[in-house]
Amino acid sequence: MGSLAVLAGLGLSGCSSDTTATTEMPTCADAENGNASNAVVLMAQSVPTASYVPCLRTALPLGWGFHHLDARSDVSVFSLDSDRDGQEAIKVRLEESCDTSGSTEILSDREGLQRFERVTRTTPHFEGERYYRFDGGCITFEFRLAGESRGEGLALATSAVGVISRADLIEQVHEDSDGRLSLDPAAAEGEP
Amino acid sequence: MASLPQAPPDPVRKVPVARPAPPAIQRVRRRRRPSGEPPPLPKHLNASGKWWLALSALVVAVWIVVVVTGSATHFDVADTRMLQAIADIRTPWLTRVAKVTGVLGTPAAIYVIWLANWLLLVVLRRWRHLFVWIGVGIIVVNIGASMASTLQRPRPFEVEILGPWAGFSMPSLPMTVLSAFLVSTVYSLVPAGRFRAIAKWVIAGLLVVTALSRLYLAQDHPTDALAGVILGVAVPLAAFRLLTPNDVYPVRYTRGRPAHLDVTGARGDAIIRALQDQLGLVASEVKPVGLAGSGGSTPLMITVKGDPETHVFGKLYAATHVRSDRFYKLGRTLLYGRLEDEQPFHSVRRLVQYEDYVLRVLSDAGLPVAHPLGIVEITPEREYLLVNEFFEGAREVGEAEVEVDDAIIDQGLWAVRRMWEIGLAHRDIKPANLMVRDGTLFVIDTAFAEVRPSPWRQAVDLANMMLVLGLRTSAEQVYARARRQFSDEEIAEAFAATRGLTMPSQLRRMLRQQGKDLHGDFLRLLPYRLPPVRIQRWTWRRVVLTLATLFGGAIALSLIIGNLLGSPL
Repeated sequence: MGSLAVLAGLGLSGCSSDTTATTEMPTCADAENGNASNAVVLMAQSVPTASYVPCLRTALPLGWGFHHLDARSDVSVFSLDSDRDGQEAIKVRLEESCDTSGSTEILSDREGLQRFERVTRTTPHFEGERYYRFDGGCITFEFRLAGESRGEGLALATSAVGVISRADLIEQVHEDSDGRLSLDPAAAEGEP
Repeated sequence: MASLPQAPPDPVRKVPVARPAPPAIQRVRRRRRPSGEPPPLPKHLNASGKWWLALSALVVAVWIVVVVTGSATHFDVADTRMLQAIADIRTPWLTRVAKVTGVLGTPAAIYVIWLANWLLLVVLRRWRHLFVWIGVGIIVVNIGASMASTLQRPRPFEVEILGPWAGFSMPSLPMTVLSAFLVSTVYSLVPAGRFRAIAKWVIAGLLVVTALSRLYLAQDHPTDALAGVILGVAVPLAAFRLLTPNDVYPVRYTRGRPAHLDVTGARGDAIIRALQDQLGLVASEVKPVGLAGSGGSTPLMITVKGDPETHVFGKLYAATHVRSDRFYKLGRTLLYGRLEDEQPFHSVRRLVQYEDYVLRVLSDAGLPVAHPLGIVEITPEREYLLVNEFFEGAREVGEAEVEVDDAIIDQGLWAVRRMWEIGLAHRDIKPANLMVRDGTLFVIDTAFAEVRPSPWRQAVDLANMMLVLGLRTSAEQVYARARRQFSDEEIAEAFAATRGLTMPSQLRRMLRQQGKDLHGDFLRLLPYRLPPVRIQRWTWRRVVLTLATLFGGAIALSLIIGNLLGSPL
């Protein structure tokens, strides 16, 4: 019985649906050479049509942490934890398309991306979505903010989460391989 | 009821029948195993196991070199060119074939393999294989996932990926987990020998087909799949060969108790070699004997060369018996409380040493037990053979051909009296453990004997001995003989202490088969009865063990339901 409990305990991190998720942060640019991390490249591969890919561009403020990234064919999702707003308070999802019905388009803070907002709940905690639509893809922010200061989470989504263009990633892969490799298949090269 | 004539208990009693001298057994010079020489039956990994472990080490070494030198691009380029060459032959029908043949690498298929093995191993009650299976699954999944997260290799470049994927690519987690699960399945469900050899080729074929499919669909790089297979094969291979060696935990579907070990092949040879080296006995044959009456060890009849040939009796103990003993005693404590101080043994060496010691104490006291001949080490801390005299031609006291007369009854009762005097309880007095030959009664199987037992336990021995002897005679006859060696108070105490579960199951079964209430007959013969001794006693140990078991069980159950029963991918 004891050995089974130990084995089961060990299995907590192993036998679950997030086995393939990584805790590696998808940073837009590392300190060493300014390259996007491989996690961002992996996200780009998950949605080959997406012309932009979300990434983390700054260190997260105190009280916030990176949960994990689950990148798989057709969709990538990473989430952020907050000690006040709860686990996975903000989820960032990259897909080929998203349903923005019921949302309101507002002036975008990112060039080349359309922005939509939808608030579904304000009390007792804030729930809502923010969409960035662009050629070949869509980034969705899902907010589930349990804390009292919802503004902090919304501001973090703007300040800490950035986007990197596919063109930049293609260039990065090309340079890293000394010009021998490209991110996408030749037929898809340059397409959004 | 009128009291029967009774002799007052005599502090000094004569031995009813002189104990026969041990048979002459021819011995040769013993040989000490020099330092560095392997034991008779060493723990081993086969050559292929070492080869796979070496490959795993090589894979890890390559990973480290690649990370340190930043030379991943070379592998990326080589892998990409291979995948591009494969992609050049893509056709719609071949793509459909690849998607079908790659089904084993899907999370659904891997989940089915995981659950099916769980279920089968639980149904077959092959617990050790199940635990190793789970352990291998958890370790492989965690190592694979951790390595993928550390190495952070993206999916293949420059090739359109046609199949589903998840996470970083090196090592290929589906190939790692699939390899580990298939190898684990073979080692836990397929008997060793020809069937297992065939099964290995089958899984090799399945892995090749799955890997080719994944390469065609560009889900993995070639090196991802290769590393995954090496890791996935090496871990279960090493784990099953070390933790469930086939000669100790064989996979078999024939009827038979799991406690009984196969004494043919390498183990049989090792036993013969060890007997000669360690006891100077030149054995010509080792074969199981009386398996039906034994559940805690493998009893053996060993033929010893000489003129004439003689036999010795061996009890082969393995680590499995220690675990069985531990769970048996835990179960008894939880069910019955403080029946007696049931402390488990923690090693097979201790278990064998204890039985040998008790046998020598009984032998020194002149009790009719087998003459001990020594302990033989087969595999250090894993397997030992306890060797003693073999009662040639002896029969169980319960057998119809055996004549049970007053002399036999007196010998049986004297054995109990003598054990009382030297402070011992046999604790397993049953027909199978009382042998008769040429008018002499022998007591065998001292594995459960206890030094300085509780008075209650000693009383139970007396009642069980009277019941066994009464099986072939009558309560009146046994009671009359008993009163020559025991007082009415002692006999009354014995029957107050003994009922139901305090009798060995074989004795209970034979009493049921005879259809007579022997226990009741003895009670009716007693001049008076003592109140039954309460056997359900709560102790702090029992309370703590019960709570710990329930708590551990609840946690294990919740973790199993919440995690282990989930999909590994």
